[in-house]
Amino acid sequence: MAAYSRGQVEEFLYYEADLLDSWRMKEWYPLYTEDSEYLVPPIENPDADKETALFIINDDFHRLTQRALRLTKKTAHVEWPRSKVRHLISNVRIVDQQPTEIRVEYNQVVYRAKRGMDEFVCHVKQTLVPDGDSFKIKSKRIILDLHALRPQGQISIIL
Amino acid sequence: MNMPLERGPDGFIRDDHQNSEFLVQRKAFTSEEVLAAEREKIFSTCWLYAAHASEIPEANDFVSRKIGGREVVVARDADGNIGAFFNTCTHRGAMVCREPSGNSRAFVCPYHGWTYDTSGAMIGQPADGGFPDGFFDNGKKDLTKVAHCDVYRDFIFVNFDAAAGGLVEYLADAADMIDLVADQSSIGMEVTEGRHDYSMEANWKLLLENSADGYHAVTAHASYFDYLQATNGTFRADFNPTDVGGRCYSLGNGHAVIEYGAPWGRPVAQWVPQWGDEGKVAVDGMMAGLVERHGEERARRIAEKNRNILIFPNLVINDIMALTIRTFQPISTGYLEVSAVSLAPKEEHPDVRKYRQYNFLEFLGPAGFATPDDVEMLQICQMGYQNMPEVVWNDISKGMNRAENSGDDELQMRSFWRRWNELMSA
Repeated sequence: MAAYSRGQVEEFLYYEADLLDSWRMKEWYPLYTEDSEYLVPPIENPDADKETALFIINDDFHRLTQRALRLTKKTAHVEWPRSKVRHLISNVRIVDQQPTEIRVEYNQVVYRAKRGMDEFVCHVKQTLVPDGDSFKIKSKRIILDLHALRPQGQISIIL
Repeated sequence: MNMPLERGPDGFIRDDHQNSEFLVQRKAFTSEEVLAAEREKIFSTCWLYAAHASEIPEANDFVSRKIGGREVVVARDADGNIGAFFNTCTHRGAMVCREPSGNSRAFVCPYHGWTYDTSGAMIGQPADGGFPDGFFDNGKKDLTKVAHCDVYRDFIFVNFDAAAGGLVEYLADAADMIDLVADQSSIGMEVTEGRHDYSMEANWKLLLENSADGYHAVTAHASYFDYLQATNGTFRADFNPTDVGGRCYSLGNGHAVIEYGAPWGRPVAQWVPQWGDEGKVAVDGMMAGLVERHGEERARRIAEKNRNILIFPNLVINDIMALTIRTFQPISTGYLEVSAVSLAPKEEHPDVRKYRQYNFLEFLGPAGFATPDDVEMLQICQMGYQNMPEVVWNDISKGMNRAENSGDDELQMRSFWRRWNELMSA
């Protein structure tokens, strides 16, 4: 069984973050598998079931692709002019490793500057699958360490 | 220094029927004086939405939340009766409930231990002396009850004005709209798990206007319609865009609705291919139940029409691709807090529930494909009002020259503003 190092995983996470920070949306969504999910569960219950509960974000591959493509348009008014985005990632841990799946958890702060500054403090759980020398993302679940989406008011960027 | 309010001949608005022009003073969105007057004349006299009965189904269930500038607990007491009281200890004022929801037989003030039951009655405190006999008798130190708390079809409202009239009278024709929501289930509607609690740097009335605005969709939500077109199976196969049309109705007391054809699926009860064959069986079953309970005509109205319902002053029920109960509170002239939940029939099939939630967040949620653009629009309006010394008026005239307003006219906003102006000028 191939053992992946934390360094390899971190390299990949930083790459994803860089694509988002540099607004390379059309390179971002191909990091995801066709059966992937991109989730922000309800703040009050991060373990909620996406089939029954109202999530903040519950994208399958089609919708996360469309989410990325929307952000390339001027008609995505909230992000035109575009905000400045910076992802900071730390406390990366591989919590489980199987030949076909690696489960990773890390902490993340995302800054969004536009007029003022929004901060999104989160804990992220990703499920990666090996893909050649790198990985693809099968699941990304972003747990917001916020009391409410206040004063951010919205999530208009990709966390 | 506050400038005096320039009320003009019609108060804060200019309602010019002769020239079909309706104007609102931008000061209504920015003035501290106006907000203070709203707190007194609107939020202290109108019935305000507080909670849905399904959020507190059992005895001793409670929710605590900000309502009309107050901190309020809405609870079912040990006998199952719904009541509302102010979340402040009668001793020294600390909030006795610090959880947003839960079940508890008692609220114990964490400061000195004064203890209350879920009807608000004081039931004890830890000291064994220092108070004369009978000091706590006759409810003298009970939590203060909100003047009125009443329920219409499981929608719980409160009113802080002891002299207020009844809830049903207040709701006027908006009660019929709540009926069209409540009638979607044979056993009752429920608020589902997961709340959207967010905020906007905008005056609260901007969100009221935006929540039933058919006119802005094509421009503000162009990217949402791009998404729908790129997504298979989200529209009715036989949908004809000319069917959207729709109408706008004033419902009395400042309430209003826009009602129009639904191009997309409605969990109750208009199936679209995205929901699959099993979903079709479930939705058809819901439709059959509607016809049985309400007859063909009313069933089709419930099932096939979208309704964006405005209930004065700060409740929005959008019955569209999902059902949202959205309420919002002014925190300052330029900042509001929104809370929204998803309402659904208790008996809903899991496949349909899944798509209800999936579609809700995509259009109605703060991280969806539309609401963030609404937030941006409202915030840039509020910023635009900084030009008020020179630019004084907003225009809300669309449709004023027509006898019947269509779904993309602005009668619903004028209904709100006329009532607002009436209360504020009183």
